[in-house]
Amino acid sequence: MTTFVFRNHTVEAFFGYDDITYSGYDDISLVPDDADRYIWFFQVPINTDCTQLAQEIESYIDQLDIVIAHVKDSKPFIIFSLESLFSLRLAGNETVVTEAINRFNLHAIELEKKYPNVKWVDFSEFTSRYDSETLVNWKYYLMSQTLLNPKLARDFQSWWQRINAELDLQRKKCLVLDLDNTLWGGVLGEDGIDGIKLGGDYPGNAFHYWQRSLLQLSKNGVILAVCSKNNEDDVIQAWQLNPNMVLKQEHFAAVRINWKDKATNMSDLADELNIGLDSMVFVDDSPAERELIKQLLPQVEVPDFPEKPYQLMPFFKHLVERYFRIYAVTAEDRDKTRQYQENAMRHAERSRYADLESYLYSLDIAIDVIPVDEHRVPRVAQMTQKTNQFNLTTHRYTESDVRQLMEQGWHLFCMNESDRFGDNGVTGTIFLEPLDDITVNIDTLLLSCRILGKGVEDAFVKTVLNLLRLDGYRRVKAQYVPTAKNIQTADFYDKLGMTCTKTSPDGVKDYEMELKQVFEINNCYNIRVL
Amino acid sequence: MNLEEKILEIMRETFETQDISTATSQRNCARWDSLRHLTLASELEDAFDIDLEPEEIATMTDFSHVLEMIQSKL
Repeated sequence: MTTFVFRNHTVEAFFGYDDITYSGYDDISLVPDDADRYIWFFQVPINTDCTQLAQEIESYIDQLDIVIAHVKDSKPFIIFSLESLFSLRLAGNETVVTEAINRFNLHAIELEKKYPNVKWVDFSEFTSRYDSETLVNWKYYLMSQTLLNPKLARDFQSWWQRINAELDLQRKKCLVLDLDNTLWGGVLGEDGIDGIKLGGDYPGNAFHYWQRSLLQLSKNGVILAVCSKNNEDDVIQAWQLNPNMVLKQEHFAAVRINWKDKATNMSDLADELNIGLDSMVFVDDSPAERELIKQLLPQVEVPDFPEKPYQLMPFFKHLVERYFRIYAVTAEDRDKTRQYQENAMRHAERSRYADLESYLYSLDIAIDVIPVDEHRVPRVAQMTQKTNQFNLTTHRYTESDVRQLMEQGWHLFCMNESDRFGDNGVTGTIFLEPLDDITVNIDTLLLSCRILGKGVEDAFVKTVLNLLRLDGYRRVKAQYVPTAKNIQTADFYDKLGMTCTKTSPDGVKDYEMELKQVFEINNCYNIRVL
Repeated sequence: MNLEEKILEIMRETFETQDISTATSQRNCARWDSLRHLTLASELEDAFDIDLEPEEIATMTDFSHVLEMIQSKL
């Protein structure tokens, strides 16, 4: 992947020399169209004339607009926030430079909202770690125009690597929390409902802030769960009766409060929530429990827990930055805990019905089949990155990949599913590559695991194939690529009625089928094509 | 690792090539450009805990001058 960097200082020491091209200093005359992505990394120049400097910074706003207008919107464009590395105010009240910097950054954030390919990166997250003597090394600045101290190059690279990982949507889904001395101070079984330290003076206030922060995290799409050795009744009472409790039963998608070993409980939680162990982060104050999980379930992330309650907020920041932050929160994310809880209700409902069919009818399932438009690209790309279990080929795509496939004429559909317990949102997608006038290949087919078990996958695929048949397609090809996690889909195409034409030694199976007639779909699903 | 080897190792890492010897100079090594020259200076400062003045950095145009400079600082 080649990157093109717009810059006004020397930055080679930070981004390196491989697969990267740099603009001239402060030069936007060339916007190459063969780059795969673009970075805008301007730094506040050294100038003791504040009025002049402010004007210069204002001019970056116009330059940035011009550049973005010339870049194809299918290519990622990353804007670093402007940060003052060396600020000099001759008069104490001179704020023109700060104001100009703020204007630039607000403008960049606006651009991110306006253009789906634009991402704003908060560079202060890096610079705020250092004092101004460290940030600028005058010797190297004056020799080479490298304003940011080249001695920070290694630190910068590891920070930048993490930001890149976040930009590529690699994050964890679920935070599993212990209770005693983790969500509150003290031991519930010994100190009692009102004896545990939560709220009030230190250290109770530390746990209070920590719980409030975790609540915000759950509102941003992270699933919270509990894994604790306790008497469940005691905990439920504490949730109900302790007035300072922020995180209560309804905020946890699943709980394991018992005296079993935590490795077993973690595996159970993964099963119940239908997520992989490698999507989970385990937070527990006990080093012994952490060690157990590290040893027995190495896929689970196990961060060290702070020794002192006053370290909980920096620990929270670490959790967010290391495991959970992404750059685009979708509406589905915000509702995730609720959706997982509703799923648990559906499970309970299921056992009440004698046969599956009447159960399905009772659910009032509605399926909307929607051609993927710009609006839904972030969610669709995110699903290709995160879905492991019901995923026939596990091809991973970024947002710009998806846009390119659309430009190439692929047929991309997604699916919104709801039932009487709630709206599950966009939870499935299918990518079809036209091979010739009458043949399509199913490149990608995936459904979020939380909606499985209702036959929705079958109805979705059949609806899409019926649509393609109307478009004149008469043959469909498909592939199953086995992974450690998608075994449940191994015979999906066989069940659909496709013929396996080839099985490779690595387990990859090729399928084919003629689209002779319209598929019949069970009318327990209320299907709409939008 | 002796001093010479340590310097050669830093040069290999900085210039991202194995093709470095005691005969390497700015003139016969294309990757030893002016920017990487400063990266080299910065790496040497950190590795040997020394300070190099801009005038000194400017004279370190081949391996033997680099070696001399480091020796004079230790």
